[in-house]
Amino acid sequence: MKTPHRLRANTGTVAPFLFILTLPFLTLPPLAGAQGESVCVQCHAAQSGRGAIPVKPWRESIHAANGISCSDCHGGDPKDAANAMNPAHGFLGAPQEVQIPSFCGRCHVGIKEDYLQSAHGRALGKGGPTCVTCHGSHEVKKAELELINEKSCSRCHSYDRAARIKAAMQETEGMIVAADRKIHGFRKLGIETDAYEKGLYSTRNRYHRLFHDVDTARIVAESARIRGEVARLNGSLGVIDEALRKRKLAGGAAVGLALLAGIGCYLLKKTYD
Amino acid sequence: MPLFKKLFDWLEVRIGVRELAEKELTSYLLPRTINVWYSMGSILLAIFALQVVTGILLMVYYVPDADKAFKSVTAIMNEVPFGWLIRLCHAVGSNMMVLILLFHMFSVLFMGSYKSPRELNWLSGFILLNLVLGISLTGYLLPWSQLSFWATTVATNSVGAIPYVGGYLTEFLRGGKLVGPPTLGRFFALHVALLPLLIASVVAIHLFLLERIGVSSPPFGQENSANRWEGDRFRYEDHPGGIPFFPNYLLQDMTSIFVYLAFFFAVVFFAPSIFFPFDAFSPANPFQTPAHIKPEWYFLANYQTLKLFPNEFIGLMVQGVAMTFLAVLPFLDRGKERHPLKRPLFMLCAIGGIALYLALMIWGHYS
Repeated sequence: MKTPHRLRANTGTVAPFLFILTLPFLTLPPLAGAQGESVCVQCHAAQSGRGAIPVKPWRESIHAANGISCSDCHGGDPKDAANAMNPAHGFLGAPQEVQIPSFCGRCHVGIKEDYLQSAHGRALGKGGPTCVTCHGSHEVKKAELELINEKSCSRCHSYDRAARIKAAMQETEGMIVAADRKIHGFRKLGIETDAYEKGLYSTRNRYHRLFHDVDTARIVAESARIRGEVARLNGSLGVIDEALRKRKLAGGAAVGLALLAGIGCYLLKKTYD
Repeated sequence: MPLFKKLFDWLEVRIGVRELAEKELTSYLLPRTINVWYSMGSILLAIFALQVVTGILLMVYYVPDADKAFKSVTAIMNEVPFGWLIRLCHAVGSNMMVLILLFHMFSVLFMGSYKSPRELNWLSGFILLNLVLGISLTGYLLPWSQLSFWATTVATNSVGAIPYVGGYLTEFLRGGKLVGPPTLGRFFALHVALLPLLIASVVAIHLFLLERIGVSSPPFGQENSANRWEGDRFRYEDHPGGIPFFPNYLLQDMTSIFVYLAFFFAVVFFAPSIFFPFDAFSPANPFQTPAHIKPEWYFLANYQTLKLFPNEFIGLMVQGVAMTFLAVLPFLDRGKERHPLKRPLFMLCAIGGIALYLALMIWGHYS
């Protein structure tokens, strides 16, 4: 009867020690919560009127996905609420319609040039579309072929020509998306894909610039050239694919051998039993 | 063969290998009702050995320098012959070690094997769990990727929630105000030297206790499943008429290890990316916090618990209390009965606890 008492007394000694011992390994963090949002997002998200409108679309945009925040376009100080909208701290506010291409073109330089030379750009300020007409302002979409669609284009003109351009680019888009997906998959396996990513990035940019041109013949010719480049890239990716296929074959053999050895041990054990 | 016999005889006359083998292998009897869950410890030993071997091979090429660590890991994955296999085995193996350790603990829990006189076995096992979590956490930083850098930043930040000493502790762990090259040096030393030594030592203690006290009988398949320990003096729990460790149970251990290896290789060769988020392959960038960064699956429940409380210190305390309760369970649970179906309160608490742990883990993953 004495032993349990002794053990109970030990519990009191052991518990604080163990608590201290385990504490360092318990300090697991609210990682996402710790990630700071700009004061712009914090303040606008807390609003209930017009001010809150841009936050949700921006969060779902390609800009947010790539870490482009409010201040990258609108200026201001994203860390200081008092100066977040202070022109002295570079705050630009929202651009007028005719200023939009220059506003976006600070980063998208080549696309701005293409746009200004196109029929769309020449109609700027005369009822023609700006960047946000197709891409949205805060909900900025990734430049994909789906942006060319009857609903969107026929707001201003007939869809016929746009449909021909889209058809010419369809195959190229598919090849670029497939190569991008493949590279992404390789990267998740720890394969060094920097060179491929940079190559595809450059090709994709050239492809995206075609979106802002309305010269069908040029689009067809340039799309064919881009497809050739992606095909060459696919050749290099195919070498990795082959290596991965061999790995999987070896993996299948390793799994099979381990299972066979397991079954062998089990059967041998049964004979002894 | 004559050479082998000569060597055997040479050893026999000096250290009595025949008697040793008989005592530890063929005459070492285990309960007839022993089941497959008893082989979890052997699987863990195999995993630990594999981690040591792959860890040493990785050290040949890994450079523990903040400017070179990520590049060296990328080189291991892409240039070193079979480097990808060694690294994947090490990374997947660390996850598997935690998983099998949890299975081992759950089986001990449900079969009541933690009860007297095996409190020290349980305690040493509990310390091993924490050391394994520690070695996993320190290893996480070494690739110096976005994921590892930011996970460590926030993990070390949380220590700051401890009143009075939190700030000093954070700085001590990091080797500075922020996570940086000194942190990598510290974590590397802990990961490759101190923690493996501690784990090996505690494993030795764990095995010594197992050997000294004897293997417990499973509570299943017997009329009286109550704990027979009397507590008046030390008694080795023997199993007359039981099965010998060699060859019978060693073959069971080998079966379990090979089945484990089949599963392990299936993950390594066919689905290694389940343990690697995308940010695991981007170099650390102290100026860009990645979105949606989450800890490893075995820390997700802790992560979600901290998020549930408005104050980080309260969250830490709650987890500390839960872990302490688990550590001292053999001292609190004094009941004699070991069969889980005859312990309804225990079953309710254990299944409730595991369900809560899983729920928090899933919630943490999707939050």
